[in-house]
Amino acid sequence: MSLFRSKIIFALLTIVSIQTLSGFDIGDIPLQDEGRIKPLDTFARNHLLAFYGKRSVKELDLTATDWLMNLILDPQTGRDQRVFNIRNPEVASSLFLEWTSDHKYSFNEIVPGLSEQSSLLGIIDQKDINSRTIFEKQLYELSQNILRFEEISYLKALRFIPPDHHTRSEEWLSPFDFILNGFPANDDQEKILNSLQVYLASRLSGEVLKMDSALTVYRSALSSFPGQDIDINILEKETWMNRANLFYISLGLYLMAFIFLSFSWMVRPIFLNRISYLLMISGSIFHAYAIYIRMHIMGRPPVSTVYESIIFVSFIIMVLAIILEYFRKDGLGIFVGTVSGSIFHYIGFSYASDGDTLGMLVAVLNSNFWLATHVTTITIGYGASLMAGCVGHLYLIQALRENVNSASLKSIFNNLFGITLLALFFTLFGTILGGIWADQSWGRFWGWDPKENGALLIVLWQLMMIHMRLSGLARPAEFALGMSLNNIIVALAWFGVNLLQVGLHSYGFDDGVARSLFIFIVFETLFCFGVYYWPNIKMRFESR
Amino acid sequence: MIVKTSLMKIITSPKVFSYTVLWLIVLVFFGTVAQKDIGLYASQVRYFSSYYFLIGGFLPLPGGRLALLLMTINLASSLFNESLWKVKKTGIIIVHLGGLLLLLGGGITAQFSTEGNMVIAEGETSNHVDDHFDMELAFVNTSRDDSLEYTVFDAPLLQDGNSINYQKFGIQIDVISHMGNVRIESRISPTESIYKGFLKDFVILPIQPHKEATQNRPGIILKLSGLSEEEDGIYGIFLGQRTPDTFDINGDLFFTEFRRKRTYLPFSINLLDFEKVMHPGTNVAKSFSSEINLIEDSIPRRVLIQMNEPLRHRGYTFFQASFIDGLDNETTVLAAVKNYGRLFPYVSSIIMCIGLLIHLLMRLPKMLERQK
Repeated sequence: MSLFRSKIIFALLTIVSIQTLSGFDIGDIPLQDEGRIKPLDTFARNHLLAFYGKRSVKELDLTATDWLMNLILDPQTGRDQRVFNIRNPEVASSLFLEWTSDHKYSFNEIVPGLSEQSSLLGIIDQKDINSRTIFEKQLYELSQNILRFEEISYLKALRFIPPDHHTRSEEWLSPFDFILNGFPANDDQEKILNSLQVYLASRLSGEVLKMDSALTVYRSALSSFPGQDIDINILEKETWMNRANLFYISLGLYLMAFIFLSFSWMVRPIFLNRISYLLMISGSIFHAYAIYIRMHIMGRPPVSTVYESIIFVSFIIMVLAIILEYFRKDGLGIFVGTVSGSIFHYIGFSYASDGDTLGMLVAVLNSNFWLATHVTTITIGYGASLMAGCVGHLYLIQALRENVNSASLKSIFNNLFGITLLALFFTLFGTILGGIWADQSWGRFWGWDPKENGALLIVLWQLMMIHMRLSGLARPAEFALGMSLNNIIVALAWFGVNLLQVGLHSYGFDDGVARSLFIFIVFETLFCFGVYYWPNIKMRFESR
Repeated sequence: MIVKTSLMKIITSPKVFSYTVLWLIVLVFFGTVAQKDIGLYASQVRYFSSYYFLIGGFLPLPGGRLALLLMTINLASSLFNESLWKVKKTGIIIVHLGGLLLLLGGGITAQFSTEGNMVIAEGETSNHVDDHFDMELAFVNTSRDDSLEYTVFDAPLLQDGNSINYQKFGIQIDVISHMGNVRIESRISPTESIYKGFLKDFVILPIQPHKEATQNRPGIILKLSGLSEEEDGIYGIFLGQRTPDTFDINGDLFFTEFRRKRTYLPFSINLLDFEKVMHPGTNVAKSFSSEINLIEDSIPRRVLIQMNEPLRHRGYTFFQASFIDGLDNETTVLAAVKNYGRLFPYVSSIIMCIGLLIHLLMRLPKMLERQK
C-alpha cells in the first residue's frame, strides 16, 4: 500500500514539476477572443475543434498551436490541408464535394462550392436561428468557419496587441489592424509587433534560439505594457491545463478504481478494496484540482455554465461517495462514486466538444454574491440528490436478494434517508437563495419561471418522499423507489428546463440533449419500477 | 367531539401534506410546460395564482394558491400536535416554523405587492410607475391655463359591458370591448357614421395575446354619449396612440389617453445617463447601468443603479430591468417593486437552515451507521 501511495505522490510531483519547468511558450501568448484574454493555445484548440472536430491534427501529427502557426507562415499549404470536417452528406453535396469516408475537406476544396451558394447563405442569414433546418445551420456554420479560417490565416482574427492605454477602448488589436489598416502603433505596441515578427521569421527559418529570445522579449514587453494587467502565470496555467487533461486522468483513475473493486468481489476483498478506495480518492484530487484551476483562471465561482455544473455535480458525488465509503468500508461508496463519476465525465466531455468551456457570462450572471452561493448550493443539492438516487437504486437491487428486515438493507436505508435529508438541505436552500438572488436582481422573490420551477420540483419531491415515509404512506422500499425516480426530476430540472426555453418543438427530438434525456427518463422509469415489482412479477410467473 | 378530533387529525396529518405536495408537483410540472405555449404570465395566472382552474371548460381543479393555503393550514395546525414537542424533534419544530413563515411571507407578497416599470429617457424626469398589466383611461383637459387636468378611470371600471355615468362631464361611457392585445388596420370602404375619430379610417382588431405580457398593445372600444349630436358615437383607443381623438366637453377641449395604470411616487427620478458595456469584441452585454438623480423635496441626490445593484427608497425598489436604444439618446427601463413580504424569505431561510442543521447533527450518528 505504501508503494502505491508513493506512486501517487510521484505522479503528482511530476505534474507539479512539468508546470514549473515549462517556460513562456508560443502557446502562452495572450490574445483577445470572445470577450476574454486567453492563451493562443486555447484559441487554436477551440478553432481546430470547431473546424476539424478534434483539438489536434492526428494525421499530420500537429498540435493545435503548431497547426495555427503553420497556417500563418504558409497559408498556401494550409489551405490545402483537409481540416474541415463536414458531417452531413447533404452539406457536402450542396458544395459539389464528393462524400469521402473520412469526410474531411480543405479550404480550397470548399470555397468554390460556397461561393456558388452565396445567395442561399444570404437567405439563411436573414432567417431566425431557431427556424433554420439542420442543413441550413451546418452550411451556415461552415461558411462562418471558412471566413474565420481566412481571418486567422492573415492574422486578422488574432488580436494579440493590447490597446493604447490612453484610449478608453478595451478592444485588443490584431497585427492586421496595424499593417494593413495602417493603425499607428505606439512604442509598447511596436515592441510586441516586432518581437512577434522576429519570432515568426525565425520560426520559418527554423532558428530555435532566436525564437526563444523573441519570446523572452515578447514576454517582457507584455508585462511592462502600460495600463494592462496581464498575469502571464495564469496564461501558462491555462495552456498547462489544456495539455494536462486533468479530467481524463481522473476518469482513468475512477475506471481503474472500479476495476479493482470488481476484482475485490472475487479475490482478496479487503486489500483490493483499499487500493480501489485510494484510486478513487486520487481521481477526486485531480478532479478537484482541475475545478480549482478553472476557478483561478476565470476568477469566478466553480459553477456558472451547464458544463461546469456537470463537472461540479460529479465532484460532489465523489466527495459524498468517499465519505460514505469511509464509514461503510464495503465498496458501496466506491461503486456509486466511480460509476456515476465516470458517467458524468463522459457527459462533460460531450459538452466540452462544443467549444470553449471558459466562456464569458451575460450581465445578470456577472459577479454577484447571491448568485455564486445560490448556484453552488443548488449544484451541491443536485449532486446529493443524484447520490441519494444511486443509493436508492442499490437498495432496490439489494432488496431483490435479501430479506426486508436484514441488517445490511436497513443500514443502506439509513444511509439513503440521511443523504436525502442532506440533499433536501442543499436543494431547499439553493432554491431559496435563488429566490433571494432574484429579489436582489429583479425585485421579485419568486416568478414561477421554468428554471425556478425545476428546482422547486426537486424540493417538493423530496419533501413529499420524506413525509410519506414519516407518515407511513411509504415503506423503505417505496421510499427507495421514490428517491430513485428523483433522478428523473433532477435531470428534468437540470437539462429539461433549458430545452423548454430554446424550444422543444422547433428542435424536436433531433436535438442530442433532448434525445438523451428522453432515453434516460424511459430507462430509469422502466428500471426502477421493474426492479421494484420484480418479486411480484416473478411470483406470478412461478405460480403459473 | 370525536368528529372534531378526527377532523383535527386529518388536517394536521403529514399524509395531507404529502398529497398536497404531490398535487403541487403536478401543478408545477404542467404549469411550466404550459409556459411554452401560453407564456409565463398567463400560465402563472391560470395555474399558480388561482384558487381553482377549469380543465376542458367544466372540470374545476385546485389551483396553486389553494394548494399553498391548504399546506399553510396543515403546517400551522401540525404545530399543535403534542407528539411533535419533544427534545429530539427540536430541529424539526424549528424547520416547520421557518417553513410556515416562508409560506406566510409568500401569501403577503401575493396579496399586497405591486410591480411596474418606470421608463425614462436620458435627460427626462418621471415620478410615476406604470403597472405591468392593468390599464387606465384618462380624459385630459387641455383648456386650463398652465397645466393639463387629468380625469382617470381605473382598470376595474373598464371591463366589457360596463357603463360609466360621469356626472361632472355629463357624459356616459359604455365599454364595448376591452382587448388585451390589438392590431390596427385601415378601413377599405367608408364606414357608418356612428364610428368617430380614429375609427373612421381604421379598425382595431383583437389578436392573440403575446407570450411576453409586457409586449402586448391593449386597446379599448367605447361608446360615448352626452357630448353633442356630432361627437356622440363609438371611439377606439389603444396604448401608444400617436394622434388621440379630441372632444369638446362643456366648452373645454379634451383628448383621451389609454395608458398603463400609473402609481405616483412621493419623489421623482431624473435619468442623467444610461450606459451599457459589452464584453470586448462580442455582442454579449457585460453590464447595464443608469446614473440618476433621485429628487425629493427638490433636493437631488446622485445614485447609480446597476444590474444586481438596485436602489431602495421609501419601500420601493428600483432595478435595472431593460433599455431602449434610441438614435441619439437611450431610454432606461427600471422595474419598480413595492413588496411588504420581502424580508420573510431571508428570515425564514435562516430559521430553516438552523433547524435542519440541528436535525442533521442529531441524526448524524444513525445516518452514518455502519454495516454490522
